[in-house]
Amino acid sequence: MATRYDAIIIGGGHNGLIAAAYLAKAGRKVVALERRHVLGGAAVTEEVFPGFRFSVFSYVVSLLRPEIIRDLDLPRHGLEILPLDGTFTPMPNGDYLWRMDDHARSIREIARHSKTDAEAYEEFGKAMQALCRFVRPILAMLPPDPTKPDFKDMLNLLFLGRRFKALPYEDRYNLVQLMTMSAADFLDQWFETPALKGTMSASGIIGTFLGVRSPGTAYVLLHHYMGEIDGAFRAWGFSKGGTGGISNACGAAARAFGAEIRTEAAVARILVKDGTAKGVVLQNGDEIHADIVASSLDPRLTFLRLLDPRHLPDEFVEGVNRYKFRGSSGKVNLALDALPEFTCMPGKGAHLRGAISISPSIEYMERAYDEAKYGAFSRRPYIDCVIPSLTDPSVAPPGKHVMSCFVQYAPYKLKEGPEDWDNQREAFGDTVVNTLAEHMPNLKNIILHRQVMTPLDMERIVGLSEGNIFQGELGLEQLFFLRPVAGWARFRTPVRNLYLCGSAAHPGGGIMGAPGRMAALEILKDWKRGIA
Amino acid sequence: MNGRTDTLIIGAGLNGLVTAYYLAKAGRRPLVLERRAAIGGTCSTGELAPGFRVPTLLHATGPLRPRLAAEMGLERHGLAMLESETRLFSVSADGRPLVLWRDPRRTAESIAAFSPADADNYPKFGEAVTRLAGALSDLLDMTPPDIDHPGLRDITALLGTARKVRALGPRDFYRLLRWMPMAVADVAAEWFETEVLRAAIGARAVLGQAAGPWSAGTGANFFLRAAADPHVAGSVVAPRGGPGALAEAVAGAARAAGAQIRTGADVVRIDIDHGVATGVTLRSGERIDAPTVVSGADPKGTLLRLVDPAHIGPDMRRRLRNIRSRGVTAKVNLALGGLPTFTALKGLGTDAAAALGGRILVAPEIDYVERAFDASKYGQVSDQPFLEATIPSLLDPTLAPAGKHVMSVLAQFAPYHLREGDWAERRDALGDLVVKTLAARAPDLPGLVEHRQVITPRDLEEDWGLTEGHLFQGEEALDQIFTMRPILGFARYRSPIAGLYMCGAGTHPGGGLTGANGRSAARAILADRR
Repeated sequence: MATRYDAIIIGGGHNGLIAAAYLAKAGRKVVALERRHVLGGAAVTEEVFPGFRFSVFSYVVSLLRPEIIRDLDLPRHGLEILPLDGTFTPMPNGDYLWRMDDHARSIREIARHSKTDAEAYEEFGKAMQALCRFVRPILAMLPPDPTKPDFKDMLNLLFLGRRFKALPYEDRYNLVQLMTMSAADFLDQWFETPALKGTMSASGIIGTFLGVRSPGTAYVLLHHYMGEIDGAFRAWGFSKGGTGGISNACGAAARAFGAEIRTEAAVARILVKDGTAKGVVLQNGDEIHADIVASSLDPRLTFLRLLDPRHLPDEFVEGVNRYKFRGSSGKVNLALDALPEFTCMPGKGAHLRGAISISPSIEYMERAYDEAKYGAFSRRPYIDCVIPSLTDPSVAPPGKHVMSCFVQYAPYKLKEGPEDWDNQREAFGDTVVNTLAEHMPNLKNIILHRQVMTPLDMERIVGLSEGNIFQGELGLEQLFFLRPVAGWARFRTPVRNLYLCGSAAHPGGGIMGAPGRMAALEILKDWKRGIA
Repeated sequence: MNGRTDTLIIGAGLNGLVTAYYLAKAGRRPLVLERRAAIGGTCSTGELAPGFRVPTLLHATGPLRPRLAAEMGLERHGLAMLESETRLFSVSADGRPLVLWRDPRRTAESIAAFSPADADNYPKFGEAVTRLAGALSDLLDMTPPDIDHPGLRDITALLGTARKVRALGPRDFYRLLRWMPMAVADVAAEWFETEVLRAAIGARAVLGQAAGPWSAGTGANFFLRAAADPHVAGSVVAPRGGPGALAEAVAGAARAAGAQIRTGADVVRIDIDHGVATGVTLRSGERIDAPTVVSGADPKGTLLRLVDPAHIGPDMRRRLRNIRSRGVTAKVNLALGGLPTFTALKGLGTDAAAALGGRILVAPEIDYVERAFDASKYGQVSDQPFLEATIPSLLDPTLAPAGKHVMSVLAQFAPYHLREGDWAERRDALGDLVVKTLAARAPDLPGLVEHRQVITPRDLEEDWGLTEGHLFQGEEALDQIFTMRPILGFARYRSPIAGLYMCGAGTHPGGGLTGANGRSAARAILADRR
């Protein structure tokens, strides 16, 4: 192990691979280390049952930054995003609400339920797009240090202030509401159809341990409009070959730029000498040395598991201990012998090609959260399903299908403790199947195999602490310059030459890639300044 | 009246009266119009039965902003403030007492019985709260800045606060940033392990709000309260003679300065000519003209009910309708034949009575309060309500006949919008529920009840004019405070109508009988005249 690297990246998820690719592209000698036998972290495809390839965890993509796709030339490395058209919501009264990418058809469909909602939907879309233009630059901005802002920070803040002042009153009013309100209260101002509000509100709570009535959830509604105006691809899509296809493309790009990627290379410890990171020790005892170490793992694993906390200031350790994970979602992956059939819309129509959302009303969503607050999984959960095999037949044997069901709420901390998930896993799976079967009566007869992923499983398998899919709650108190620890939002850490490059860093989770890219750019900047 | 008055103030609540005082003192001739027979609004003392006087609605004052009492010379007008030795008494789920006294040593003893670590942390948390609240306190007295055209005054005031916040150092600065958007349950859990103590902190934040302790942003509610009263559990400060005595003293000061006050004068319309307020019309048909009209009523009700829609425009009306003011608090007042015996206090001996002198909470656990809130989201009343009670006659024996007492209970969560039935038919059931809930902690209480008054959110709307029965004239949520209270663009006590101002709890800095709203409103009105 005499090889020396410029940089070691811990974790072969999409962010780690993107960071590796950017560093390698800049001519640095990089190695990325993945604990598992497959790349991807939570963005992974696995053939769990013969012939059925599941996007085991993350299952749709919307926010992958277009500049990353361009910079890393991902399509050449195999990235192919297939469209996910529309959202289909079965309703308790036997009707349905079906929104599609075809705007005019969506408006007609909404008008079938409420004329005023159809009008408001147009207005809403325009309002959101205006705000997207305002918010987008913030996502790409290095969070300022509000306690001692430097010149660039001041310019950024001034720039934001100016832009805010330039907004028309109505946009401003919407913006401050979005930043502070709950998704439910915000949507209540616009719409009346329960299924429309329920389904739209869902995007505000995905991956968080908040309810649709919790302040702060409105902001996420904006993200649904973010992809659309980028123009690079559709708002929501699948990766061909499953979500792992994205990670594989990132990995292929990194390799093409000269990065080395090792799987089954679990890091046991980060080597620190005189307050400076020097490399890592693998679980097999090998030592790898490098000028810098960047961890795409979450802060709990990075700072409390891989580091000796004595290398860190007490206040920082306190901050890491307080950082909230609180995984709240589970995943049920089904191998199907045939397509499911809805009572409210029989047949194999296009409605099966989009997202299928069990979110009939705000009240349904909020009640699901109420149960979770007290340590039980929702008996009537919110479920978001996709059947990727309809769009991408390569993921299932001919004539057969895979169905991916994202389920909320499944709180990591059950009343009897997280380990109780080992006893409740199948009951949770049954709840999901039963809830779906109310709308698709044939479902139970066509299930060939079932894989149930609880937050505990996500922690064990992917290493996401408490099973949080975003490596930590996306609450206001854990965003921007507060993510992951106040004062340490700029990818750097109290240990010199140790960086964070995963979803726990600004701007947070989802298959966005921004933390990996921004961390790599900061690392390169430090190198240039000669301080790393 | 024409020629004798230049400013009409709608509502003789605390803030209306404070506004009247400051305007009169500056040489204006304000006339305060109160629809009820008595002044005070939510700051009232009522006679529950002969000899029993009780804080009709709110039972502790903000407390009043420190300089107000001095500026108005309220002592000369008969105000005597009493402060209880006890801040708070609550009972844990397993029946043990938590008593927070003004005396830190006794407080530490009481907490230590639950957790020595918490007893150690309590003063540390208290110091942090006092420091942070101190930095924010000036914000309560300022007019929220005008974002588009910040004046010199705005900038100086904000810079002053910014300097104070910076002086806190990065550690406290980040605490402030983190805690405000957090759920108060999480803030409390960062410091304490004792459930009943966490719940006491959570309870303070959600009192009067349609929020549970697990609602994000309730950290800010806690600090909003603490900015006015920088103690963890708040203090219990009450005027001798009940809250009404405070309103009387302010009214006395206002009259002495030249203001007039008329009761039984129910304003049904604000008269507007070409977008400019010209006066008001009373229910009797009487019209009173004045170039300036100030409403102490809630902004939503003022602009949607008292102003002709033609003057507001559909967009602004939509935004006004969107102001969240879903009332969740009911009030139950009890005349008691004697002091109730709380089972949890039996071991306290002579201190047992003293322990009841502050706030009495029925909030054994964070989740208890949260569950009470859960029911209200669906238009239901939890059969396990969260209660904040006081026995003001302990501090001020003049409120009840010798040996007897009055008890004032704020009950949550009683949603204004019931899913089934209406409040007129549910009023007695609510009273029974509150008494039953108290009886589970003080079994002799039901037998002591001589008289009972139940005020539902519907009553708060009908009798007190609070839209949807919200005690603080609108939720104090992140989207409805400071520059957004009551609504973005009109947070400076002015309204979309020239000459029409707002001065009630629906304006910055919100509810809680601090008087700050009235003082700032008067300043804004006088500034416009110049």
